[in-house]
Amino acid sequence: MSDSSHVGVTTQAPTAPKRPASTVGRRARRGLVSFLWALGGVALTILMWELVKWLGSVMTLPFDTSDSAMPHVWTMLAGFTQPEVRGSDTTVFQAVVSATLYSLLVAMGGFIIGVSVGLLLAIVMQRFAFMERGLLPFVIASQTVPLIALAPLITGLGNKISIGSFQWGTTQSVMFIAAYLAFFPLSVGALRGLKAPTSTALELMRSYAATPRQTLWKLRFPASIPYLIPAMKVSAAAAVVGTVVAEISTGVRGGIGRLIVEYAREATSQPAKVYVAVFGAIVLGLLAAGLVTLLDVYLTRNLPKERQA
Amino acid sequence: MTASAPTTHAAVHAAGVWKIFNEGLANEVTALQDVSVEVADGEFISLIGPSGCGKSTLLRCIADLTHATRGDIKVAGLSAADAREQQKYGMAFQQAALFDWRTVRRNVELPLELQGWDKAKRGERAMELLEMVQLADFADHRPWELSGGMQQRVAIARSLAVDPPLLLMDEPFGALDEMTRERMQNELLRIRKETGKSIIFVTHSIPEAVYLSDRVVVMSPRPGRITDVVPINLGERNEDTREAEVFFAGVTAVREALRGHTSGGGVRARVGEV
Repeated sequence: MSDSSHVGVTTQAPTAPKRPASTVGRRARRGLVSFLWALGGVALTILMWELVKWLGSVMTLPFDTSDSAMPHVWTMLAGFTQPEVRGSDTTVFQAVVSATLYSLLVAMGGFIIGVSVGLLLAIVMQRFAFMERGLLPFVIASQTVPLIALAPLITGLGNKISIGSFQWGTTQSVMFIAAYLAFFPLSVGALRGLKAPTSTALELMRSYAATPRQTLWKLRFPASIPYLIPAMKVSAAAAVVGTVVAEISTGVRGGIGRLIVEYAREATSQPAKVYVAVFGAIVLGLLAAGLVTLLDVYLTRNLPKERQA
Repeated sequence: MTASAPTTHAAVHAAGVWKIFNEGLANEVTALQDVSVEVADGEFISLIGPSGCGKSTLLRCIADLTHATRGDIKVAGLSAADAREQQKYGMAFQQAALFDWRTVRRNVELPLELQGWDKAKRGERAMELLEMVQLADFADHRPWELSGGMQQRVAIARSLAVDPPLLLMDEPFGALDEMTRERMQNELLRIRKETGKSIIFVTHSIPEAVYLSDRVVVMSPRPGRITDVVPINLGERNEDTREAEVFFAGVTAVREALRGHTSGGGVRARVGEV
């Protein structure tokens, strides 16, 4: 703390305390600890699963614990190494990885579109009160339409779209549905965030004769970050769920949603295979959450800890 | 209403200012009633009075943060709106209202950034101002790492950024402890001496108003109006000023001016007296 160059300055000019140098190191250590906890959670889940299976073999439980309904964890893991279809070169693992990556890309596309649209809507609704009154009911109503009803509608309408060399396909439909689910939490969260600045801060901007655009960029937008991050987390989850469900209901191939359906058909012969696909979906969700967390760390790097989302 | 244009440019000229909220409705409130005040160039004026007397409303009318219902307001010879557009005043509030996501220096730079100053020039100007409020060492810190008094000093530096001739201060030291408060008062007087700014200072501390001001404008609520103007003549302030006879005499004068219009009923009936 003692900085020799500042010693002897009057009390009116206090010396700047040295900032703790190791905030990064502390953050990394905290991250490691929570990673170990997460690992422990996974281990505990596996233990519980096997415990329930074992209990089922020694007493009567109200549900089926046989290998066909609850395969051993090691059977599931072994399932990864099997060929995808009899005699093919690709293993189930490779198939799940490529399906997960495909779905992740589609979900990310949907997320980016959803976030952009959601943000734009929030900005418009914040700027013009009549837009908020007019748009918000539609924004809310949009989420009450069941996905199952939406999917064929979008595929049907989308297939008619063809601009130049661009032809709307089922992938676009899936991305659209992901975006459709992702924009809502974001627009609601962003609207709250854009309205977060105190009246004093807003009056300050007015006293500087700031334009509405300057107020948006220099005040409202940065002030909305703590609201934006949780909204983005919900949006990312919505985009992933939207992608998987939309893949199933539109029947698009290549993604994890389709893989779950296909593997489920083989459940009678290879019960572990369904879980293998589900693992893919879980990893997909974790990847999406991880990407948003990275964004979070970047966006809130300048905020006090209690304001970090 | 005789609201003729001022012949000389006073720092602030307010004549016959009324502010009525919800005019014509059942919940109509007269926040300001026929308020006139003139602030000379380089003068330090305090507005004092109990809550609801309209002192902040008057300041906000001058700052064009709200519109006077009636009356004429000129700041440096311009209408309040033009004065705001042309940055003829700097403002400081009770909350420092520093932006968390900016460093101390970049907070001071904010008004310059909005005026389109280039990066190097505004950084230089910000450092100059931080030197003035003796916080140059903290330029790269975040506002939340600073104490309340330090934050308020940053806010004052920020209000001086565009070098406006007038400072409007709305209870800037209201949230500070007594010791910090007295130190900040000395700082403010020093800054005033160095820069020659005109200052309108809203407070509800009598000693603060007396210590800082050339004139104390005493206001009274329901409806908000000016009831008295107490001239203060303390000369150069120093260590002994707060314990001097003339200081206590000023405090007593302001206290009596405040009491004279708050004791007894029938405030409404006596409006005409003023």
